[in-house]
Amino acid sequence: MTATRILGRNAPRVDGYVKVTGKAEFAGDLVVPGMLHGKVLRSHLPHARIVRVTANAAENLPGVVAVLTGNDLLDLKNWRYGHAIKDRPIIAVDRVRFVGEPVAAVAAETAHIAYEALGLIEVEYEDLPVVGNLDASLTVGALQLHDMGSLRAGLFHGLGEFKVGPGNVCYHHAFDRGDIGAVFSDADIVVEGDYTFPAVYQYAMEPHTVIAEHGGDHIIVRASCQHPFLVRAELADLFEVPTANVRVIVPYLGGGFGSKSYTKMEPLAVALARKAGRPVRMANRVDEAMVTTRRHNMKCWMRTAASDKGVLLAREVRIWLDTGAYADNGPRVVATAADAAPGPYRWQAVKVDAWGLYTNTAPAGSYRAFGATHLAWIGESQVDEIARRAQLDRVQIRVDNLLRPGEEVRPGGKPLDADLVSDIRIIAGHLDWDSPKSPDTGRGLGVSLLAAGAHPVSSAIVRLEADGSATLLMSSTEMGQGVRTVFSQLVAQELAMEVEKVTVPGADTQKTPYDRSTGASRSTTLGGTAVQRAAQDVRRQLQVATSEIWGVAPETIELREGAVRHADKVLRYSDLFLRYFGLAGGEFIGQGRVQPVDEGRGSYAAGPVFWEVCIGGAEVSMDRDTGRIRVNKLVSVADVGQAINPHLVEAQEMGGAMQGLGNALFEEMLYENGQLLNSTLLDYHVPSINDLPDRFVSSISENEDGPGPYGIKGVGEGALAGVPPAIVNAVADLGIAMYELPLTSERIWRAMQRDSA
Amino acid sequence: MFGEFQIHEPATVTEAVDMLAHYGDGATVYAGGTELLLIMKEGLVNYPHLVNIKTIPNLNNIALENENKRLRIGALVTHRQLEQGTLIRERFPLLSEAAAQVGNLRVRITGTIGGNVCFAEPHSDPATLLLACGASMELSGKNGIRTVPAEDFFVDLLHTAKEEDEILLAINVPTQWVGAAGAYMRFCIHERPTATVAVILQLKDGLIETARIALGGVGPTPLRISMAEEILRGERPSRELSAAAASCAHEATDAVDDIYGSVEYKGHLAQVLTDRALARAIERTGGDASVH
Amino acid sequence: MLVSTKADLIALRATINGELVKADVEPRETLLDFLRDRLGLKGAKRSCDVQVCGACTVLLDGEPVSACCTLAYEVCNRRVTTIEGLSHNGKLHPIQRAFLDSVAVQCGFCTSGMVLTVKSLLEEHPQPTTAQIKTYLHGNLCRCTGYWNIITAVKQAAQLMDGGRDTLP
Repeated sequence: MTATRILGRNAPRVDGYVKVTGKAEFAGDLVVPGMLHGKVLRSHLPHARIVRVTANAAENLPGVVAVLTGNDLLDLKNWRYGHAIKDRPIIAVDRVRFVGEPVAAVAAETAHIAYEALGLIEVEYEDLPVVGNLDASLTVGALQLHDMGSLRAGLFHGLGEFKVGPGNVCYHHAFDRGDIGAVFSDADIVVEGDYTFPAVYQYAMEPHTVIAEHGGDHIIVRASCQHPFLVRAELADLFEVPTANVRVIVPYLGGGFGSKSYTKMEPLAVALARKAGRPVRMANRVDEAMVTTRRHNMKCWMRTAASDKGVLLAREVRIWLDTGAYADNGPRVVATAADAAPGPYRWQAVKVDAWGLYTNTAPAGSYRAFGATHLAWIGESQVDEIARRAQLDRVQIRVDNLLRPGEEVRPGGKPLDADLVSDIRIIAGHLDWDSPKSPDTGRGLGVSLLAAGAHPVSSAIVRLEADGSATLLMSSTEMGQGVRTVFSQLVAQELAMEVEKVTVPGADTQKTPYDRSTGASRSTTLGGTAVQRAAQDVRRQLQVATSEIWGVAPETIELREGAVRHADKVLRYSDLFLRYFGLAGGEFIGQGRVQPVDEGRGSYAAGPVFWEVCIGGAEVSMDRDTGRIRVNKLVSVADVGQAINPHLVEAQEMGGAMQGLGNALFEEMLYENGQLLNSTLLDYHVPSINDLPDRFVSSISENEDGPGPYGIKGVGEGALAGVPPAIVNAVADLGIAMYELPLTSERIWRAMQRDSA
Repeated sequence: MFGEFQIHEPATVTEAVDMLAHYGDGATVYAGGTELLLIMKEGLVNYPHLVNIKTIPNLNNIALENENKRLRIGALVTHRQLEQGTLIRERFPLLSEAAAQVGNLRVRITGTIGGNVCFAEPHSDPATLLLACGASMELSGKNGIRTVPAEDFFVDLLHTAKEEDEILLAINVPTQWVGAAGAYMRFCIHERPTATVAVILQLKDGLIETARIALGGVGPTPLRISMAEEILRGERPSRELSAAAASCAHEATDAVDDIYGSVEYKGHLAQVLTDRALARAIERTGGDASVH
Repeated sequence: MLVSTKADLIALRATINGELVKADVEPRETLLDFLRDRLGLKGAKRSCDVQVCGACTVLLDGEPVSACCTLAYEVCNRRVTTIEGLSHNGKLHPIQRAFLDSVAVQCGFCTSGMVLTVKSLLEEHPQPTTAQIKTYLHGNLCRCTGYWNIITAVKQAAQLMDGGRDTLP
């Protein structure tokens, strides 16, 4: 079915007016009567036993209502949380495992008093050996950061059998097929290397903010969280309150990018509110947000085998991801990284081993395009090297080896649902691949796949009102991606009404129905399917109602331009209501739901929901004296099946590409023995408008090959993951092979020194 | 978050000095606050008394004095004023160029040149150029007014020769240097520059009569590279000459390994920037840049 | 005894979005907290705290400042403009209109500061070049949009305003 009236239209953002006038409310703008201000005392040591916390002076400070320490949690059946592994205490009880771990929290009448009270809390620590990085964590006999035997699976582990260890391993994911040894020993070309990838900070401009209330038998949380239902489940479990009595309200998010996924500050805020007996608002500063969650840093060893004609034969990969002190989404990042490692190619043999490891650094979790961003630059740089050795064009080698739609990506999983060859040709076209270039510029491109969609459970409710307007209740959280706008378009499409007549309030678990999460590019595809079904449910009800009035079969009734029609009979919706309900009132309420249908019921192994295409191209030049890379051109393709709102798709591409550029060129959290050296934006460089490449070209591929409505797939992560391989390969095209990101000017300079030595 | 403090509003320099002397290390000068308020918010320092010198008149003037031999820049002149002021842009474009690099627009609007040099953060812009131009700092304290040349003013990382009871009144810069041909360059990775270089050149009959070169960010304070200056003095500009001078820059750095870069890289940057700044300065003297 | 000391509270008088406001402020109270918590003007946002990101930008006598690093005390007898002061009677300022039309808004957290800075930019450069836009907006970060549409929005706003000054205070 081709694009119809509402789809493919660039409907203006439904939340645009409130955002551009400063009226849009974020969690930090909300005020709850009686609200206290919460501040957190954080550990300055990376690893230590807590001997004693003395808080009397703080508690006695006028204006302080409560001070929370680990002792206040001991009445809970379980004071550790984590959707994958329940390893994270609400607040440190006996031990701190990273600099920044909450040790105490204060609720006071003003923020200043709370801050002053922090200074009055004394904590006595006993240093423990610091496991500051992957090497330390992997060392045989290294100190274990967790009592592994006591760890339990989280509520949403979702990755098969739960197993931790040995040592500091929090998750291991492996697969292989074919005879890897034999293929490598016979191969004409083998490329091999060791690679390093940095810890990166998501920097959503709004740091984590929560207002929590604990009323004994009910909990209300207003939070900047991406997944309100997962947070609800976690809070219900931790505080032993029935799920229906836990209400999570999510206003607009000032960016998320995964940094607000799953559960972050909510349990701490609820615990503090519980002790204080009043609502408490807690807001992270940026330096606190940086140590609440980050992107996993990684070491990787990879080798790729090929024939001298450039036929890719085998790939073997070992991946070590540093998940910090607590797992957060580590296990899924490990699995997704492992899945991304082979790349979208046809292999005779593949062997991948990926481990997530605990270290005494800030917990690492989701950040846009995880897994693919980690691995694509490595695999794609090896493909380029093979092309050079086989004297093949770097586009041609991909055309020859890329999987085609319908081919198996991984055993038992969803086959490839994208035309990668077409996409790579588009990228090459955007780069003027065959045109002559000066020796001072390098061109590169890369393609990978991201297992997208997370777990497919979403629901939606549409309420059509007597005046022909509609309310859409759904729980995808609006963090800038435009989900409320796109879903309004879907409703308007199904009910033949104007987009402006659809109202989409924010997520509120008491009022909007279940959606598993907003992330993994899943909203348009999964949430969108639920929305479409809900709207279609209303459509059917309108047809049935009209059929009763006109005495014709429901399926002969058409919906067009806000009216039901049959032959020459027309009834505007408002008139239908009058006829059907007997008054200018009543409602047609439709519901829609999506849930896994196949064997495996939505398990990770049976998925993903769709493969998100991560693809990009770059043209760079370099200052050979300083090593500074200048990106002349970045190009991207959004392979989305169908674009409901092309402008919003393009907007995601541009934003994602700049995040990818930052990750590739300069973003890096610098850790030394568990201490973070750069915790403010003065020392952590987030791309500014001055970092733009000279040109950015993006296009949208619409092959209607996705599982969502009208063949839709998700978008949002592909552009980010497409940038590092493009830039790394463009730099390699200049003759400099890089094995470590980010490509700071010093690293490039050192590589040039290395090469000339 | 801030601890508690009081804001004092002196009407004259004398009052300000008296306040500073009275409160000792419990007081500090408060002008634009672009550095001060940050370190106070982070709890790195504690000052119960801020002496707001913005209430003192005539500290934000820019004037040519002494038969136009001296440019006097009031301590409260903002980077934005230096960036945009007609006199500075037309007569002393180097100063305008350097000021335009500071931080971002908001920092330039609020931040003062006096506050900047008194904070003495090595990764900053104006100090390097002021040192190259032979600036001197006019201070007023309990013991009266004194002038300290820039090379003595910057004592160490975040430490100047200004006493606790003194306020900076103005920065005096010889127009002979700040108005001469020159170049200012920087290399920036984070928010503050990793390395900065300022070159002032005077040619006579095709020979370099004077060369003044300063580096910033590659030591605890900005540095004059006298060895490089000596190599250049009296010589005809050439590529080899500049390269020789630039390699002195490499040797002269007093850097440490930190998040801005390693010692080796900073030394290398110093060399590259000096070389390039020399080329541009030569070009601006009207000298033949093609030999370079 | 020293003259001109400020006791615990400062009697502040300032014009905020065209209206005279009087309040007692603590010396340490930031302009950001004053605007958000005391006056309920929440458009300016707290983000980086170190004057890098621009999310807290407001106009002080028409010039952009970081409200998080400006003491409320400093606006005494001066004019402050926040995002709330830009539109009048529900009618959007051309810059706001342009940001919407050019799809330059996503999460919206940077938008208040960005729009106000653009207002200042267009007053100084009514028809700015891309280079001028980049220099001016260097201190306003956006993590969502990738900046391209913001550049387009600025140029579109310049067209809408057609080089003339807008008539709003």
